[in-house]
Amino acid sequence: MHVPDAFMPIWQGAIYWIIALVFVYLSLRWAKNELNEEKLPLVAVLAAGIFALQSFNLPVSMGTSGHLVGGALVAIILGSPFAAVFILTLVLTVQGIMFGDGGITTMGANILNMGVVGGFVGFYSFKGLKAATGSMPVSAFIAAWLACVIPALCAAVELWLAGTFPLEAGLVAMGLYHAVIGVVEGVITVAAIYLIVSVRPDMVDKGVLPAKAGAVA
Amino acid sequence: MIDNKTLIVGGLIIAVLIGVVAVFFASSDPDGLESTALIIQGGKTLTGPTPPDAEILENMDGKFAYLAPMPDYSLGEESGPGGGILAIVGGTLLAFLVAIGLIYVLRVAGKKGPPKANQ
Repeated sequence: MHVPDAFMPIWQGAIYWIIALVFVYLSLRWAKNELNEEKLPLVAVLAAGIFALQSFNLPVSMGTSGHLVGGALVAIILGSPFAAVFILTLVLTVQGIMFGDGGITTMGANILNMGVVGGFVGFYSFKGLKAATGSMPVSAFIAAWLACVIPALCAAVELWLAGTFPLEAGLVAMGLYHAVIGVVEGVITVAAIYLIVSVRPDMVDKGVLPAKAGAVA
Repeated sequence: MIDNKTLIVGGLIIAVLIGVVAVFFASSDPDGLESTALIIQGGKTLTGPTPPDAEILENMDGKFAYLAPMPDYSLGEESGPGGGILAIVGGTLLAFLVAIGLIYVLRVAGKKGPPKANQ
């Protein structure tokens, strides 16, 4: 769902840049306060992993492919939506500048959709669902699915405002495709959480761990 | 539990392997946003396959144009899969290094900043 430069007027891209920069600033402040040398390896590996996974488009039927976004995964593992803003911003910057995946003037919109909306939706829906169900995999799967679909719907609205997509057709197509892509997002998110928890439970946010382990950690 | 060195080396190996596999096995179908653009432009139907010659029309009037050094995660068609692997491995390592560099700068800046009581 990387919006290219061609899909949005520069002035609208500038507005999303300004909004995104507020969250980027807050994410830098979060990183400065929360990230220490102990968490550095996990954050750097997550950045590399998200970049690689975003380059891997899987077929999702209907002549369409999709890849992991990763906002929910990062926010859940590191215990903050600002973690998603931080890592997605740097991944989207590398993608946009070096590989032309997502535009430059639209990078603010992409950060806003995938980093901010994806991170906040993923983190808080996981938190609420985990409290309600007690199940990490169920909560993470649904949170990741939502963190894929809702940013896609935001992109559809932005592209309607940009005059690129009609509202209804954009919402239907973006919603349908990302509802399917979201299943891939959910499966990969749950698998990645299990993998990271199994190798470094000490680095993972306590909210991810089972209640007993979280109390001990 | 594994140590930090194993986490970094193992994590990077997995990331690079995903990137290399992506070069050979990633779907050539458009992503969700591109598919939506094709529908709007009449290039495909909502649930139908994407025609091989489908192309997204981009109106660049009044838009910012930027040519990335490695567009579409490749070094150009003539470089083949090897160029794709180099591009993705380079990007993966770049994301890793940018993350480390940024956190390091933030930590150094945090330590050298004026005490909060004086602000």
